[in-house]
Amino acid sequence: MDIDKLKPLVVFVVVLCFLPPILGFNNYYVLIVTYILFYAVVVSAWNIIGGFAGQLDLGAGAYVGLGCYAMGTLLIKWNVTPWIGIIASGIVSVFFAAVIGYAAFRFGLKEVWYALATIASVVVLQKFFLVWEEVGGPAERYLPVKYGSIYYLRFATYTPYYYILLALLAISIFINIWVRESKLGFDLLAVRENEEAAEMLGVDARMSKLKALMIYSFLTGVAGALYALIAGYIHPSQFDNSISLEVAVLGIVGGLGSIYSPPASVFILHTLSEYLRSTIGAWIPGVHLIFYGVVLMVTLIFIPEGLSSLFKKLSLKYKPSKREIG
Amino acid sequence: MFVSLNLLLQNIANGLLIGCVYALVAMGLALQFGVMNVINFAHGEFVMLAMYITFFLSFSLGIPGELTLLFTFPIYFVFGYVVYKLVIDKVIDAPAVSQIGITIGLLILLQNLALAAWKAEPKAVQSTFLTGKINLGSVVVPVSRLVTAVVSVVVLFLLNWVLNKTYFGVSVRATSDDMRAAALMGVNVRRMYAVVFGLGCSIIAIAAAFIMTFQQVNPLAGLTWGLLSWVIVAMGGLGGVTGVLASGLILGVAEGLEITFWDPRASTAIIYLIFILVLWFKPKGLFGRR
Repeated sequence: MDIDKLKPLVVFVVVLCFLPPILGFNNYYVLIVTYILFYAVVVSAWNIIGGFAGQLDLGAGAYVGLGCYAMGTLLIKWNVTPWIGIIASGIVSVFFAAVIGYAAFRFGLKEVWYALATIASVVVLQKFFLVWEEVGGPAERYLPVKYGSIYYLRFATYTPYYYILLALLAISIFINIWVRESKLGFDLLAVRENEEAAEMLGVDARMSKLKALMIYSFLTGVAGALYALIAGYIHPSQFDNSISLEVAVLGIVGGLGSIYSPPASVFILHTLSEYLRSTIGAWIPGVHLIFYGVVLMVTLIFIPEGLSSLFKKLSLKYKPSKREIG
Repeated sequence: MFVSLNLLLQNIANGLLIGCVYALVAMGLALQFGVMNVINFAHGEFVMLAMYITFFLSFSLGIPGELTLLFTFPIYFVFGYVVYKLVIDKVIDAPAVSQIGITIGLLILLQNLALAAWKAEPKAVQSTFLTGKINLGSVVVPVSRLVTAVVSVVVLFLLNWVLNKTYFGVSVRATSDDMRAAALMGVNVRRMYAVVFGLGCSIIAIAAAFIMTFQQVNPLAGLTWGLLSWVIVAMGGLGGVTGVLASGLILGVAEGLEITFWDPRASTAIIYLIFILVLWFKPKGLFGRR
């Protein structure tokens, strides 16, 4: 892999490392940026299946929920450290995604039908865990309160979670770059542009889509486990189809197949939305999300390729020399 | 597990009645998706908003919920027309991804508009003509649900008649079959799309006015209705009114059976399980889809 490709990633991560000190380690602000990082991780992972492979996966809620429950159940029932639980979460999510994905790709579901099949799986799992009393059930199950413990990965402040999620975001972006450079990435792009033509040229479309789905669901499952650790409990409402919808729409607004702009868009849009929530959201509930919905729609109407094309235009404008060389 | 026959019959009857409503709600989407091939993820939010408008008019004018239809029907036609012109028209030729993205934006907008306007507590219509219940042997049928089901079926067949017998209906079906050819034959396709979108929304308004006689509404109600409508469109496909009605009834009865034999809390899960299986094994829908 070209080392030059990793330079923006290093800059990105180093800049974000200084965010909690800038915010003065204020627990509320750090929690907000931690949630933003959570979304950034999932959106960045979604980019592999949605952006590269062009498959509109709305299963993020299912993988997040499975992540919460795999880690949470291991911890609550058998006292297994979340360090193992996090990996187990990823594996459980991958397993579920592989079953759903294998069948979906095997039976040739495309576009809206694939999207609907995956979002339906979120609802099915939510209801299933609501009824399954041994593991789920309608009551919250709390994780052990052992603050400051490395074994239990529970902390009294949100700053450690911020850095863990930042590391996960770095891994996710690194995997994005790696996939984009590898044969898998080219296969996926070919499948996105024209599946039949790609298959004609010997691309195993089904297998490459499945690989992309598995990478994405692993990262999302791990992010889900961390989500449960931050929240401190597990509950069937963590199988949330609004996470699925939001992740997909952020990925689309960010720009399909672009590596940095989907997470960057999450930062921009969520910061704006949180700012509005803290200023006018107190008078009128939901007003920040009204604004959010309008921004998403207006962006897609005026910049259909997503914000990545806007960023590209801006960078070309301010770096004319690079254009002449390149 | 022992289940009494009465309970089974009661749940099947409930399922059949609610199935008709499911079909009516989905018909609005089937019409829009069938004619203009636009993917609308905000359909459920349209239903939720129509239910709120029914509540609002009924509450502020002090009239029974089902009478508000006189106002909501035209209001919702205009609403659909305007939404088409402002939003859908911009992405009508765009790839599926853009359509899904923009309608998810619309979904977030409408959901929170309802939250801002009416807060999070569920709302219900205070007065309705449709009270009381009918005893059919051991099965008890609430009048509100019965009338709602009958109205749904009547509207569906009225729509079938319009689509098959009138000039407007024929041009709608022509546009659905081949947009270019229809345009060459003198159909104003863009205006047709706007009118069909408005008509689809008016159908939702009819359904919502009657649903409110026996249900509450909260800002999150839309997600369920939207997914449900897509399930029916996938199953009934574009096989016309009968396909949609049959799919609605199948889902209603499946839900009733699930409530009888398993756990009422998981009642929607069975619908989506059927949906996933139908998509896998009958990708063209049970009644034919392009």
